[in-house]
Amino acid sequence: MADHWDTEERGLTLADANRDIMRPIMVSSWRYWTLLAFVFALVVWGCIAWAWQIDQGLGVAGYSHPVMWAVYITSFVFWVGIAHSGTLISAILYLFRSGWRTTINRASEAMTIFAVMTAGLFPLIHLGRTWYFYWLIPYPSERFIWPNFKSPLVWDVFAVGTYFTISLLFWYTGMIPDLAAIRDRLRGWKSKVYGLFSVGWQGTVREWSHYRRAYLYMAAIATPLVLSVHSVVSWDFAMGIVPGWHSTIFAPYFVAGAIFSGMAMVITILVPMRWAFGLEDYITDYHLDNMSKLILLTSLIVAYSYAAEYFITYYSADPTEQASLFFRAHGSFQGPFWVMTFCNVIVPATLWFKKVRRSASAAFVVSIFVNIGMFYERYVIIVSSLAHEYEPYSWGFYRPSWVEISIIVGSFAWFFFWFLLFTKALPTISIAEVKEHLAHQGAHEHG
Amino acid sequence: MSESSDTQAPRPEEEPSTGTSRRTFLKILGLSGAGATAAACRPAPPHIDQKLIPYLVQPEGITPGTNTLYASLLAEAGPEPLGIHAWVRDGRVLNLEGNPDFPLNADSMSALGLSTLQDLYDPDRIPGPRQKRGGDFQEAAWKDGIQALGKAVKDGDVVLLTGTGTGTRDRFAAEWAKAVGARHVRYDTFDYAALRRAHEIAFGRAEIPTYAVDQADRIVTFGADFLATWLEPVTLGRRFAHARDIEKGRHARFTFVGPRLSLTGSNADDWLPARPGTSGPVALAVAHVVAQKKGGSRGLELQGALATYTPEWAADRTGVAADKIQKLGEEIAAAERPVALPPGPESQGADATDACLAVALLNYAAGAIGTTVQFGVGPRRGQGATLAEMKTLIADMKNGKVRTLIVAGPNPAFTLPASAGFAEALGQVPTVVSLNSHMDETTAAAGWILPGSHELESWGDAEVLPGAWALGQPVMQPVFDTRQREDILMQAADAAGIKADFGAQDFAGYLENAWQEKHRASGSSQRFDEWWFDTKRQGGRWEAAPGKAASVGLSRTVTSHSFSGGANAPARGKFDLVVYPGSYLYDGRGANRGWMQEIPDPITKCVWGSWVEMHPDTARPLGLENGDEVEVTSESGKVRAPVYLYPGIRKDAVGIQIGQGHTHYGRNAAGRGVSPLDLLPDTVDGATGSLAYAGVAVQLTATGRKAPLAKLQGSDLDYGREVSEIMGVEEARKAIGEHQVDLTELVEAAWDSDPMSPYRWGMTVDLNACTGCGACVAGCYAENNLAVVGEERCAGGREMSWIRIERYFEATADGGFQTTHLAEMCQQCGDAPCEPVCPVYAAYHNPEGLNVQVYNRCVGTRYCSNNCPYKQRRFNWFSYDFPYPLNLQLNPDVTVRDKGVMEKCTFCVQRIDRAKVQAKEKGRLVQDGDFQTACQAACPTRAITFGNLKDPTSRVSRIAKGARSYHVLEELNTRPAVTYLRDVTHAELAQET
Repeated sequence: MADHWDTEERGLTLADANRDIMRPIMVSSWRYWTLLAFVFALVVWGCIAWAWQIDQGLGVAGYSHPVMWAVYITSFVFWVGIAHSGTLISAILYLFRSGWRTTINRASEAMTIFAVMTAGLFPLIHLGRTWYFYWLIPYPSERFIWPNFKSPLVWDVFAVGTYFTISLLFWYTGMIPDLAAIRDRLRGWKSKVYGLFSVGWQGTVREWSHYRRAYLYMAAIATPLVLSVHSVVSWDFAMGIVPGWHSTIFAPYFVAGAIFSGMAMVITILVPMRWAFGLEDYITDYHLDNMSKLILLTSLIVAYSYAAEYFITYYSADPTEQASLFFRAHGSFQGPFWVMTFCNVIVPATLWFKKVRRSASAAFVVSIFVNIGMFYERYVIIVSSLAHEYEPYSWGFYRPSWVEISIIVGSFAWFFFWFLLFTKALPTISIAEVKEHLAHQGAHEHG
Repeated sequence: MSESSDTQAPRPEEEPSTGTSRRTFLKILGLSGAGATAAACRPAPPHIDQKLIPYLVQPEGITPGTNTLYASLLAEAGPEPLGIHAWVRDGRVLNLEGNPDFPLNADSMSALGLSTLQDLYDPDRIPGPRQKRGGDFQEAAWKDGIQALGKAVKDGDVVLLTGTGTGTRDRFAAEWAKAVGARHVRYDTFDYAALRRAHEIAFGRAEIPTYAVDQADRIVTFGADFLATWLEPVTLGRRFAHARDIEKGRHARFTFVGPRLSLTGSNADDWLPARPGTSGPVALAVAHVVAQKKGGSRGLELQGALATYTPEWAADRTGVAADKIQKLGEEIAAAERPVALPPGPESQGADATDACLAVALLNYAAGAIGTTVQFGVGPRRGQGATLAEMKTLIADMKNGKVRTLIVAGPNPAFTLPASAGFAEALGQVPTVVSLNSHMDETTAAAGWILPGSHELESWGDAEVLPGAWALGQPVMQPVFDTRQREDILMQAADAAGIKADFGAQDFAGYLENAWQEKHRASGSSQRFDEWWFDTKRQGGRWEAAPGKAASVGLSRTVTSHSFSGGANAPARGKFDLVVYPGSYLYDGRGANRGWMQEIPDPITKCVWGSWVEMHPDTARPLGLENGDEVEVTSESGKVRAPVYLYPGIRKDAVGIQIGQGHTHYGRNAAGRGVSPLDLLPDTVDGATGSLAYAGVAVQLTATGRKAPLAKLQGSDLDYGREVSEIMGVEEARKAIGEHQVDLTELVEAAWDSDPMSPYRWGMTVDLNACTGCGACVAGCYAENNLAVVGEERCAGGREMSWIRIERYFEATADGGFQTTHLAEMCQQCGDAPCEPVCPVYAAYHNPEGLNVQVYNRCVGTRYCSNNCPYKQRRFNWFSYDFPYPLNLQLNPDVTVRDKGVMEKCTFCVQRIDRAKVQAKEKGRLVQDGDFQTACQAACPTRAITFGNLKDPTSRVSRIAKGARSYHVLEELNTRPAVTYLRDVTHAELAQET
């Protein structure tokens, strides 16, 4: 098997690239619409559950004193984490000139956008008085009341907001040549719409020159965000004095975990997508191999963080912290803890084997485990720490209610709903970059 | 109604004067009969409740927005009469505080007493006269009801069943019964007959003595739960705290004898776990040792009589080791002023009189009679029918000798053991008329309900001490269409055509006549109307209370008394049953008051239910854990309830609380939990006929089901986290002696607040004084509009209480444990973790050092709660209801919170603000005594002190500097404004590992 993307061997031409990648936009199937309708129904169900929660009060969720944050915040962190790999692939790998990002960056950037859109819902869902969410935003008010800039929750608003804006712009900028290509293949009103968004792209040398420059700058701007967003999210916890949260390791630990889960989600999405749209020639085992290696690396970092957390707690000799960590592994939340450890440390270890890395189905299975494991990781950190704080009188328990489960399911559906729309409306692989690659490879081999 | 009372206008609250105590500040105006209550308008029906309608003509003496205080009396709230100040605003009573002039509870309250507010505003009260037609109660007219009652009275064979009392209401009932030819039966759930009888045998005085626990240097109780349910718990609690005031150098060692550590037992230094119903033999053996060691004339008198009752004799029968009895006896003999308290109901068996007599002899041998046990000065208490006497009534009811039963107060269908058969007998009485205000089990069996008013809406009085009278005046118009019980009886006598001369048109007049007699007897130079006005203003007349105890001698016959050996041990595989009155439910009367259901039981920390207490070492081998349902079977019945593991109960005993298991009585009570009274046979004490609560053997079967057990405390141990702290008494004495006053520490505690502000509010809680009674919690519920959320939500950790009593067990060196009760509220940290994390500044620090929560600004991220190490913040998961008329009790000074916002203790900021305004009017700063927080005002043992930490002379500053002070979770450097003073024990504590 090739250790690079050998387009020659696959006999791909520029025309193939246009046809293959744009096929989903050009033709429709009943399967697609059925799936979309199903996903949309789940979104509606989630909305009903949310409406019920707003009407009745947050009590319909499973919260208890002292567990005041639970699966909503878990989901928030999970989706923000998912959002990381998109920018990592498109920006950092772009700056490092890693060629293998070419066919996966578009889908992962789209995933980023939709993941942030999903993540952004949860701070609203979890608020006691959702209808006043805008008080967290520093808007000029006649009462001169500003948000409290000392609160990590306000930092979140900025971090996630910035990340969303830059990711969206970056994604859009990368798509302009492709939009123009679609415009040229369509007729009627659709052509006009794509034309509008392609901002009159003609593909001249001058345009390309400016475009490449702009793209590079945006990559440079987006790169620090990959690190900052999840660092800030981790501070939601690390700035608190809750035993199990209050730790300096949290920022790097969360960033590694985010990339870990993000890469897993990319695989989870790309494997079925490549099967459904017949893109095996574009998203190849070589790409899976590279993504799997990144998962393996971040899994090791995450495993190290777990170990370091325990070691530092042991070394600190702080009995409260020690009791909290002991409770995490042996108390009423030990189930989630061991699921987390199994999924995030044991299962990814199979990626040491090249066979596993290069098998689409194996990589897919591993990625599912990692997704589950990373959801549980946040659940364990948030819930088990809160359930076992300083005052033994107030130790408690938490179990999610049907409302929370419905909203979580609805949020996944919301994510996939947008992703399905994306696969229908926009090229899932960067046509321009594929062509560039084809041209380069051709030039290299024949020239 | 006399003329004079009609013409008197109410007087506004007096201005507080500089430099005087709160006592003066809270001088009360007298309510002058109906004239004043007319100004206090009737509560508005719910539909216009939303509108604010100003007075068209401003009534004189009513200032909108201020409380008017009325002195009154609660005689039916719980175990004891409580003198109160009712806080009335716009015609509604909002809160109750102790009447500082009252000779018993003085300025403090009990949880049960405070919760009588919820009794008054209970939405399940019977709103008007009802007649049973076709099995259901239908609305009826008062006229018809009175006619029906009059006819029944005329027909004869009438029994009037009332509670006991020492005042004019009791006198009226007796007089009325005599006039109409009815039989008057008085009944209270707990009758104290054995205690009287024992003192009659010993000293020839059938009297309940005063236990001057405050004078004692060695205290032992043979089971009486005198801090919660026995005699006058608030008064005895105050005395107990006085006897153990370590700061004054006192700390009377306290031993508890009994099968289960009650709230009182949890405050003891030593525990002798005698089997149920065997406190008597233990007391005898202790008396034996004391008589021998102490000698003296009194000892010699008893040595012969007690010769056979050696510690070894008792050890076999009671399960208490002989050496422990010996040691206790020696300690009592060595003490200067010891006091021994008798068994309470929970430890009262078929030899209750013998047990009480044994304790009386012990007190005699120890020289306590006349010093710490006093006769002739004690609180007066009416004597009700014993079970034996009630059984006579029940037999008469069954035999058709009772044609009409009028129930005016008690609820024997619930409070008598089921085996006595009162409920069945009730069915055989042709006419049952209930004057009770609630649909209790007895009332539910009535044909007519003519609802009597609540005591806060009624006239009444009580002779609380010999010669010292308290007056109970109505503090508001009746909430529902109810009448004073005595008025109903008077009207019924009229309707029956009986020419009875009560000397007045209604009971108010009758009572006033009775007080005119007292006026004459007092020899006062005041005119009666003036004297009467002052009486109403101060809540009674106590000048005539006797100062000196009567001297008593041992009766000759007692030396030949042959004592019983106590209850027999249960057969193999069976358990001793411990049946005890609930701290908050008492005999069941608290069961429909949301506060009493929702404030966790002081020992188990469970709410809204029943449970079967078992020792963990007994339960675990049987595979039973908290919440596993068991069936408890006695010869008389069976009940099912979840198991609760409690190390403070004997391994061969199980405990069930009285109070739940109502079939009626309202939404909170009906169908909830079980009543252990269903398990009791109708065994009685041989000497008095009093019900034997102890000495019942039961069998336990696991049903295999899980039953809900809403326990609010997560862990019973604090794992050495410096949450609750306890120290040895010697260590404490040494520390207090050597302690250097350090002012800088206090100034530092206020480092964070605005340097320009003259205030930094602070509180101290003395864990040594705190008994864990929970009055503070009830006080907070009453003041701060705390929602009652129900069992399911409590089980989910969603109770809304702003203050809680954390109950921790600390291991002792002998393998036992000490219980500490830690009243914890928001610590109002100087460096508060909750404040910086709030994204919208809803949690902020005010210039006076308070952590203020702005409800309107809160969006509900709940980060503040996550970051609060004390977990003192409460979130509104739902919008909670205050069903009419409970909403009438809401304090207008405090916001009612809606769903989605966080709330917590505010240090009663509304009272702070009022005090500041009043101080400013006088041109000075707020001083000690200007006001109290609600929890502080309720506390019977004065464990809570509140004030300004920036004033180095304030009480709170001085106490906070004490040698025992510490901050909870001090290592977090949150700089709390609440300083705790360590609990002190005589027990040797285990070394912390």
